[in-house]
Amino acid sequence: MTPSPRWNAGRVLLLIGRLALAVVFLLAAYGKLRPQNAIPWSLASLKITPASLGLSMTFFAMQVDSYQLLPPRAVSPFAHALPWMELALGILLLTGLALRYVSLASALLLALFYAVVIRSYALHLSINCGCFGPNETLDGWTLVRDGCLFALGVAVTIGAFMIRRRSRFVTAATPDPDRAA
Amino acid sequence: MKRNSLWTLAIFCGAALLLSGLGLSRSATAQDARSAEWGRLEAEKSLGNPNAPIKMIVYSDYECPVCGNLYEQTLRPLIDDYVASGKVYLVHRDFPLPGHLYSRQAARWVNAAARIGKFEAVERALFENQGAWSEFGTAGTKGNIEPFVQAALTPSEFKRVQRLMQGCDSNTHQEIKGCAVDAGIQHDIAEGELLPVRATPTILISAHGQQYPPTTGVISWPILRQFFDQLLSQK
Repeated sequence: MTPSPRWNAGRVLLLIGRLALAVVFLLAAYGKLRPQNAIPWSLASLKITPASLGLSMTFFAMQVDSYQLLPPRAVSPFAHALPWMELALGILLLTGLALRYVSLASALLLALFYAVVIRSYALHLSINCGCFGPNETLDGWTLVRDGCLFALGVAVTIGAFMIRRRSRFVTAATPDPDRAA
Repeated sequence: MKRNSLWTLAIFCGAALLLSGLGLSRSATAQDARSAEWGRLEAEKSLGNPNAPIKMIVYSDYECPVCGNLYEQTLRPLIDDYVASGKVYLVHRDFPLPGHLYSRQAARWVNAAARIGKFEAVERALFENQGAWSEFGTAGTKGNIEPFVQAALTPSEFKRVQRLMQGCDSNTHQEIKGCAVDAGIQHDIAEGELLPVRATPTILISAHGQQYPPTTGVISWPILRQFFDQLLSQK
Protein backbone atom coordinates (compact mmCIF):
# COMPACT_ATOMS: atom_id res chain seq x y z
CA MET A 1 0.00 0.00 0.00
CA THR A 2 1.55 3.36 -1.09
CA PRO A 3 1.12 6.34 1.21
CA SER A 4 -1.44 8.85 -0.15
CA PRO A 5 -0.39 12.45 -1.11
CA ARG A 6 -2.50 13.69 1.81
CA TRP A 7 -0.49 11.56 4.18
CA ASN A 8 2.75 12.90 2.72
CA ALA A 9 1.46 16.49 3.15
CA GLY A 10 0.70 15.64 6.78
CA ARG A 11 4.26 14.46 7.29
CA VAL A 12 5.63 17.68 5.77
CA LEU A 13 3.37 19.78 8.01
CA LEU A 14 4.50 17.81 11.04
CA LEU A 15 8.13 18.39 10.08
CA ILE A 16 7.54 22.16 9.73
CA GLY A 17 5.63 22.33 13.02
CA ARG A 18 8.28 20.29 14.83
CA LEU A 19 11.11 22.50 13.53
CA ALA A 20 9.20 25.68 14.38
CA LEU A 21 8.63 24.43 17.92
CA ALA A 22 12.31 23.46 18.19
CA VAL A 23 13.38 26.98 17.17
CA VAL A 24 11.00 28.51 19.73
CA PHE A 25 12.44 26.40 22.55
CA LEU A 26 16.03 27.04 21.47
CA LEU A 27 15.40 30.81 21.31
CA ALA A 28 13.76 30.74 24.73
CA ALA A 29 16.75 28.85 26.19
CA TYR A 30 19.24 31.22 24.53
CA GLY A 31 17.36 34.26 25.90
CA LYS A 32 17.68 32.94 29.43
CA LEU A 33 21.19 31.50 29.31
CA ARG A 34 23.02 34.27 27.44
CA PRO A 35 24.82 36.97 29.47
CA GLN A 36 21.99 39.31 30.38
CA ASN A 37 24.12 42.43 30.26
CA ALA A 38 25.12 41.83 26.63
CA ILE A 39 23.19 42.96 23.56
CA PRO A 40 21.21 39.98 22.17
CA TRP A 41 22.95 38.23 19.24
CA SER A 42 26.11 40.25 19.73
CA LEU A 43 29.43 38.42 20.02
CA ALA A 44 29.49 39.18 23.73
CA SER A 45 26.09 37.48 24.13
CA LEU A 46 27.58 34.25 22.77
CA LYS A 47 30.39 34.20 25.33
CA ILE A 48 28.62 31.93 27.79
CA THR A 49 30.89 31.05 30.72
CA PRO A 50 30.06 29.20 33.98
CA ALA A 51 30.10 32.55 35.83
CA SER A 52 27.83 34.25 33.30
CA LEU A 53 25.50 31.23 33.35
CA GLY A 54 25.11 31.46 37.11
CA LEU A 55 24.29 35.18 36.88
CA SER A 56 21.88 34.69 33.97
CA MET A 57 19.92 32.03 35.79
CA THR A 58 19.75 34.06 39.00
CA PHE A 59 18.60 37.03 36.93
CA PHE A 60 15.93 34.79 35.40
CA ALA A 61 14.96 33.73 38.94
CA MET A 62 14.08 37.39 39.65
CA GLN A 63 11.71 37.33 36.69
CA VAL A 64 10.14 34.04 37.80
CA ASP A 65 9.74 35.54 41.28
CA SER A 66 7.91 38.59 39.93
CA TYR A 67 5.04 36.29 38.86
CA GLN A 68 4.37 35.81 42.61
CA LEU A 69 3.40 32.22 42.04
CA LEU A 70 6.12 30.15 43.68
CA PRO A 71 7.56 30.43 47.20
CA PRO A 72 11.13 31.87 47.20
CA ARG A 73 12.53 28.41 48.03
CA ALA A 74 11.04 26.95 44.82
CA VAL A 75 11.84 29.92 42.56
CA SER A 76 15.56 29.28 42.28
CA PRO A 77 15.42 25.51 41.46
CA PHE A 78 12.68 26.16 38.89
CA ALA A 79 14.59 29.05 37.28
CA HIS A 80 17.78 26.96 37.15
CA ALA A 81 16.03 23.95 35.58
CA LEU A 82 13.71 25.57 33.02
CA PRO A 83 16.28 26.92 30.51
CA TRP A 84 18.01 23.51 30.34
CA MET A 85 14.66 21.79 29.90
CA GLU A 86 13.86 24.15 27.02
CA LEU A 87 17.27 23.52 25.48
CA ALA A 88 16.81 19.74 25.72
CA LEU A 89 13.30 19.90 24.21
CA GLY A 90 14.60 22.13 21.41
CA ILE A 91 17.40 19.71 20.52
CA LEU A 92 15.13 16.66 20.74
CA LEU A 93 12.48 18.31 18.55
CA LEU A 94 15.17 19.22 16.05
CA THR A 95 16.39 15.62 15.84
CA GLY A 96 12.89 14.11 15.91
CA LEU A 97 13.90 11.50 18.51
CA ALA A 98 11.01 10.02 20.56
CA LEU A 99 8.81 12.61 18.89
CA ARG A 100 5.51 11.53 20.46
CA TYR A 101 6.80 11.88 24.03
CA VAL A 102 8.89 14.98 23.35
CA SER A 103 6.01 16.79 21.60
CA LEU A 104 3.67 15.78 24.44
CA ALA A 105 6.13 17.20 27.02
CA SER A 106 6.44 20.38 24.92
CA ALA A 107 2.67 20.80 24.71
CA LEU A 108 2.33 20.32 28.48
CA LEU A 109 5.07 22.90 29.16
CA LEU A 110 3.44 25.36 26.74
CA ALA A 111 0.08 24.77 28.45
CA LEU A 112 1.72 25.64 31.78
CA PHE A 113 3.22 28.84 30.33
CA TYR A 114 -0.11 29.82 28.80
CA ALA A 115 -1.97 29.28 32.08
CA VAL A 116 0.60 31.36 34.00
CA VAL A 117 0.43 34.18 31.45
CA ILE A 118 -3.39 34.21 31.55
CA ARG A 119 -3.31 34.36 35.36
CA SER A 120 -0.80 37.22 35.42
CA TYR A 121 -2.71 39.17 32.79
CA ALA A 122 -5.97 38.69 34.69
CA LEU A 123 -4.31 39.90 37.91
CA HIS A 124 -2.99 43.01 36.05
CA LEU A 125 0.58 42.20 37.06
CA SER A 126 2.84 44.75 35.38
CA ILE A 127 5.86 42.50 34.98
CA ASN A 128 8.35 41.30 32.42
CA CYS A 129 7.41 38.05 30.71
CA GLY A 130 10.95 36.65 30.82
CA CYS A 131 9.85 34.17 28.14
CA PHE A 132 12.58 34.93 25.59
CA GLY A 133 14.90 36.86 27.88
CA PRO A 134 14.66 40.20 29.67
CA ASN A 135 13.04 43.44 28.54
CA GLU A 136 9.81 41.86 27.37
CA THR A 137 6.65 43.23 28.95
CA LEU A 138 3.81 40.81 29.62
CA ASP A 139 0.82 42.22 27.72
CA GLY A 140 -2.04 41.21 25.44
CA TRP A 141 0.40 40.30 22.68
CA THR A 142 2.14 37.82 25.00
CA LEU A 143 -1.25 36.19 25.61
CA VAL A 144 -1.92 35.81 21.86
CA ARG A 145 1.60 34.55 21.14
CA ASP A 146 1.58 31.98 23.94
CA GLY A 147 -1.89 30.82 22.85
CA CYS A 148 -0.59 30.25 19.31
CA LEU A 149 2.47 28.39 20.61
CA PHE A 150 0.29 26.16 22.77
CA ALA A 151 -1.92 25.41 19.74
CA LEU A 152 1.20 24.56 17.72
CA GLY A 153 2.40 22.26 20.50
CA VAL A 154 -0.96 20.44 20.56
CA ALA A 155 -1.02 20.17 16.75
CA VAL A 156 2.51 18.69 16.63
CA THR A 157 1.61 16.20 19.39
CA ILE A 158 -1.57 15.08 17.61
CA GLY A 159 0.34 14.87 14.33
CA ALA A 160 3.13 12.82 15.91
CA PHE A 161 0.66 10.31 17.36
CA MET A 162 -1.40 10.11 14.14
CA ILE A 163 1.61 9.59 11.88
CA ARG A 164 2.89 6.83 14.16
CA ARG A 165 -0.50 5.08 14.11
CA ARG A 166 -0.75 5.43 10.35
CA SER A 167 2.82 4.15 9.86
CA ARG A 168 1.98 1.00 11.83
CA PHE A 169 -1.17 0.52 9.74
CA VAL A 170 0.76 0.99 6.48
CA THR A 171 3.48 -1.43 7.61
CA ALA A 172 0.89 -4.03 8.60
CA ALA A 173 -1.05 -3.65 5.30
CA THR A 174 2.08 -3.99 3.08
CA PRO A 175 2.54 -7.68 2.11
CA ASP A 176 5.88 -9.23 3.01
CA PRO A 177 7.73 -9.56 -0.36
CA ASP A 178 9.49 -12.76 0.78
CA ARG A 179 6.18 -14.40 1.69
CA ALA A 180 4.50 -13.25 -1.51
CA ALA A 181 7.27 -14.81 -3.51
CA MET B 1 41.12 99.06 -0.76
CA LYS B 2 41.76 95.36 -1.28
CA ARG B 3 43.93 95.21 1.82
CA ASN B 4 41.26 96.99 3.86
CA SER B 5 38.65 94.45 2.77
CA LEU B 6 40.89 91.59 3.84
CA TRP B 7 41.43 93.19 7.23
CA THR B 8 37.69 93.70 7.69
CA LEU B 9 37.04 90.10 6.75
CA ALA B 10 39.71 88.85 9.17
CA ILE B 11 38.34 90.97 12.04
CA PHE B 12 34.79 89.81 11.28
CA CYS B 13 35.83 86.12 11.27
CA GLY B 14 37.82 86.57 14.47
CA ALA B 15 34.89 88.21 16.21
CA ALA B 16 32.55 85.45 15.03
CA LEU B 17 34.91 82.74 16.30
CA LEU B 18 35.31 84.49 19.63
CA LEU B 19 31.56 84.90 20.05
CA SER B 20 30.80 81.28 19.11
CA GLY B 21 33.57 80.11 21.45
CA LEU B 22 32.09 82.17 24.23
CA GLY B 23 28.62 80.81 23.47
CA LEU B 24 29.86 77.21 23.45
CA SER B 25 31.75 77.58 26.69
CA ARG B 26 28.74 79.28 28.27
CA SER B 27 26.38 76.45 27.14
CA ALA B 28 28.94 73.85 28.32
CA THR B 29 29.12 75.62 31.67
CA ALA B 30 25.32 75.70 31.86
CA GLN B 31 25.18 71.99 31.02
CA ASP B 32 27.82 71.22 33.66
CA ALA B 33 25.86 73.20 36.22
CA ARG B 34 22.66 71.39 35.28
CA SER B 35 24.23 67.93 35.52
CA ALA B 36 25.80 68.88 38.85
CA GLU B 37 22.35 69.96 40.02
CA TRP B 38 20.81 66.64 38.90
CA GLY B 39 23.65 64.79 40.59
CA ARG B 40 22.92 66.64 43.83
CA LEU B 41 19.19 65.90 43.53
CA GLU B 42 19.90 62.21 42.87
CA ALA B 43 22.19 62.05 45.90
CA GLU B 44 19.43 63.55 48.06
CA LYS B 45 17.10 60.68 47.14
CA SER B 46 19.71 57.95 47.49
CA LEU B 47 20.82 55.74 50.33
CA GLY B 48 24.21 54.21 50.99
CA ASN B 49 27.70 54.63 49.68
CA PRO B 50 27.87 56.11 46.14
CA ASN B 51 31.02 54.04 45.56
CA ALA B 52 29.32 50.77 46.47
CA PRO B 53 30.00 47.91 43.99
CA ILE B 54 26.30 47.62 43.14
CA LYS B 55 23.97 50.44 42.15
CA MET B 56 20.25 49.85 42.16
CA ILE B 57 17.84 52.43 40.75
CA VAL B 58 14.15 52.04 41.58
CA TYR B 59 11.55 53.92 39.55
CA SER B 60 8.64 54.11 41.93
CA ASP B 61 5.23 55.66 42.50
CA TYR B 62 4.25 56.31 46.14
CA GLU B 63 0.62 55.44 45.50
CA CYS B 64 1.19 52.20 43.59
CA PRO B 65 0.36 49.23 45.87
CA VAL B 66 2.99 47.02 44.22
CA CYS B 67 5.64 49.69 44.98
CA GLY B 68 4.44 49.62 48.60
CA ASN B 69 4.87 45.83 48.65
CA LEU B 70 8.34 46.10 47.13
CA TYR B 71 9.31 48.66 49.74
CA GLU B 72 8.02 46.62 52.68
CA GLN B 73 9.15 43.17 51.54
CA THR B 74 12.38 43.91 49.73
CA LEU B 75 13.74 47.44 50.05
CA ARG B 76 13.52 47.62 53.84
CA PRO B 77 15.64 44.50 54.44
CA LEU B 78 17.93 45.67 51.63
CA ILE B 79 18.40 49.09 53.28
CA ASP B 80 19.00 47.54 56.71
CA ASP B 81 21.49 45.00 55.37
CA TYR B 82 23.28 45.57 52.05
CA VAL B 83 22.85 49.36 51.89
CA ALA B 84 23.94 49.80 55.51
CA SER B 85 27.02 47.64 54.94
CA GLY B 86 28.05 49.61 51.83
CA LYS B 87 27.42 46.84 49.31
CA VAL B 88 24.56 48.55 47.48
CA TYR B 89 23.88 52.17 46.57
CA LEU B 90 20.10 52.57 46.35
CA VAL B 91 18.73 55.37 44.19
CA HIS B 92 15.07 56.36 44.20
CA ARG B 93 13.59 57.92 41.08
CA ASP B 94 10.08 59.30 40.94
CA PHE B 95 7.75 57.99 38.30
CA PRO B 96 4.27 59.06 39.45
CA LEU B 97 1.74 57.40 37.16
CA PRO B 98 -0.91 59.80 35.82
CA GLY B 99 -3.63 57.28 36.72
CA HIS B 100 -2.84 57.66 40.42
CA LEU B 101 -4.53 60.74 41.84
CA TYR B 102 -2.17 61.62 44.72
CA SER B 103 1.09 60.08 43.55
CA ARG B 104 2.59 63.31 42.19
CA GLN B 105 1.70 65.24 45.34
CA ALA B 106 3.26 62.49 47.50
CA ALA B 107 6.40 62.71 45.36
CA ARG B 108 6.50 66.49 45.93
CA TRP B 109 6.41 66.00 49.72
CA VAL B 110 9.19 63.41 49.60
CA ASN B 111 11.31 65.59 47.30
CA ALA B 112 10.87 68.54 49.66
CA ALA B 113 11.94 66.34 52.59
CA ALA B 114 14.90 65.09 50.53
CA ARG B 115 16.08 68.69 50.13
CA ILE B 116 16.58 68.91 53.89
CA GLY B 117 18.15 65.42 54.10
CA LYS B 118 15.04 63.63 55.37
CA PHE B 119 14.29 61.47 52.35
CA GLU B 120 14.52 58.10 54.09
CA ALA B 121 12.22 59.04 57.00
CA VAL B 122 9.47 60.53 54.83
CA GLU B 123 9.65 57.82 52.17
CA ARG B 124 9.23 55.21 54.90
CA ALA B 125 6.33 57.14 56.47
CA LEU B 126 4.46 57.40 53.17
CA PHE B 127 4.92 53.76 52.22
CA GLU B 128 4.06 52.53 55.71
CA ASN B 129 0.85 54.59 55.70
CA GLN B 130 0.02 54.14 52.01
CA GLY B 131 -3.34 52.60 52.90
CA ALA B 132 -4.29 55.69 54.91
CA TRP B 133 -3.67 58.46 52.36
CA SER B 134 -3.84 56.68 49.01
CA GLU B 135 -6.98 56.60 46.88
CA PHE B 136 -6.85 52.78 47.06
CA GLY B 137 -6.89 52.79 50.86
CA THR B 138 -9.88 52.23 53.09
CA ALA B 139 -9.29 55.10 55.51
CA GLY B 140 -11.24 58.36 55.29
CA THR B 141 -8.05 60.44 54.98
CA LYS B 142 -7.54 59.95 51.25
CA GLY B 143 -5.20 62.50 49.74
CA ASN B 144 -4.24 63.91 53.13
CA ILE B 145 -0.48 63.34 52.98
CA GLU B 146 0.73 66.21 55.16
CA PRO B 147 0.03 64.65 58.61
CA PHE B 148 2.17 61.61 57.76
CA VAL B 149 5.04 63.83 56.64
CA GLN B 150 4.68 65.91 59.80
CA ALA B 151 4.75 62.79 61.99
CA ALA B 152 8.04 61.70 60.43
CA LEU B 153 9.81 65.03 61.09
CA THR B 154 10.63 67.35 63.98
CA PRO B 155 8.56 70.60 64.08
CA SER B 156 11.46 72.70 62.73
CA GLU B 157 12.17 70.21 59.92
CA PHE B 158 8.49 70.15 59.02
CA LYS B 159 8.45 73.97 58.80
CA ARG B 160 11.38 73.88 56.38
CA VAL B 161 9.61 71.26 54.27
CA GLN B 162 6.41 73.32 54.31
CA ARG B 163 8.35 76.32 53.03
CA LEU B 164 9.72 74.24 50.16
CA MET B 165 6.20 73.06 49.39
CA GLN B 166 4.91 76.60 48.91
CA GLY B 167 3.30 76.83 45.50
CA CYS B 168 3.01 73.03 45.24
CA ASP B 169 -0.44 72.56 46.73
CA SER B 170 -2.11 70.70 43.91
CA ASN B 171 -2.73 67.11 42.88
CA THR B 172 -2.03 67.91 39.25
CA HIS B 173 0.44 65.73 37.38
CA GLN B 174 1.59 68.73 35.34
CA GLU B 175 4.75 70.53 36.36
CA ILE B 176 3.86 73.54 38.52
CA LYS B 177 6.06 76.50 37.65
CA GLY B 178 6.11 78.00 41.16
CA CYS B 179 6.83 74.66 42.85
CA ALA B 180 10.51 74.39 43.78
CA VAL B 181 10.62 70.59 43.94
CA ASP B 182 8.77 69.80 40.71
CA ALA B 183 11.79 70.11 38.40
CA GLY B 184 13.50 67.16 40.13
CA ILE B 185 10.43 64.94 39.67
CA GLN B 186 10.15 66.02 36.04
CA HIS B 187 13.80 65.09 35.51
CA ASP B 188 13.22 61.61 36.98
CA ILE B 189 10.19 61.09 34.73
CA ALA B 190 12.21 62.14 31.66
CA GLU B 191 14.99 59.69 32.61
CA GLY B 192 12.41 56.94 33.08
CA GLU B 193 10.78 57.61 29.73
CA LEU B 194 14.17 57.21 28.05
CA LEU B 195 14.64 53.74 29.57
CA PRO B 196 11.63 53.26 28.93
CA VAL B 197 9.77 52.63 32.19
CA ARG B 198 6.42 51.04 31.31
CA ALA B 199 5.20 50.26 34.80
CA THR B 200 6.19 50.74 38.42
CA PRO B 201 8.22 49.58 40.20
CA THR B 202 10.97 49.21 37.62
CA ILE B 203 14.39 48.19 38.89
CA LEU B 204 17.69 48.85 37.18
CA ILE B 205 20.82 47.18 38.52
CA SER B 206 24.42 47.87 37.57
CA ALA B 207 27.63 46.43 38.94
CA HIS B 208 31.30 46.55 37.96
CA GLY B 209 30.46 48.93 35.10
CA GLN B 210 27.90 46.52 33.63
CA GLN B 211 24.23 47.41 33.44
CA TYR B 212 21.54 44.73 33.54
CA PRO B 213 18.17 45.03 31.79
CA PRO B 214 15.34 46.59 33.78
CA THR B 215 12.98 44.30 35.69
CA THR B 216 9.45 45.19 36.63
CA GLY B 217 7.36 44.10 39.61
CA VAL B 218 8.09 42.78 43.07
CA ILE B 219 11.22 40.71 43.63
CA SER B 220 11.42 39.08 47.02
CA TRP B 221 14.45 39.87 49.16
CA PRO B 222 15.95 36.32 49.24
CA ILE B 223 15.98 36.16 45.43
CA LEU B 224 17.40 39.67 45.02
CA ARG B 225 20.03 38.93 47.67
CA GLN B 226 21.06 35.80 45.73
CA PHE B 227 21.63 37.93 42.62
CA PHE B 228 23.58 40.53 44.59
CA ASP B 229 25.74 37.85 46.20
CA GLN B 230 26.64 36.52 42.77
CA LEU B 231 27.45 40.01 41.53
CA LEU B 232 29.60 40.66 44.59
CA SER B 233 31.48 37.39 44.14
CA GLN B 234 32.52 38.49 40.63
CA LYS B 235 35.45 40.82 40.33
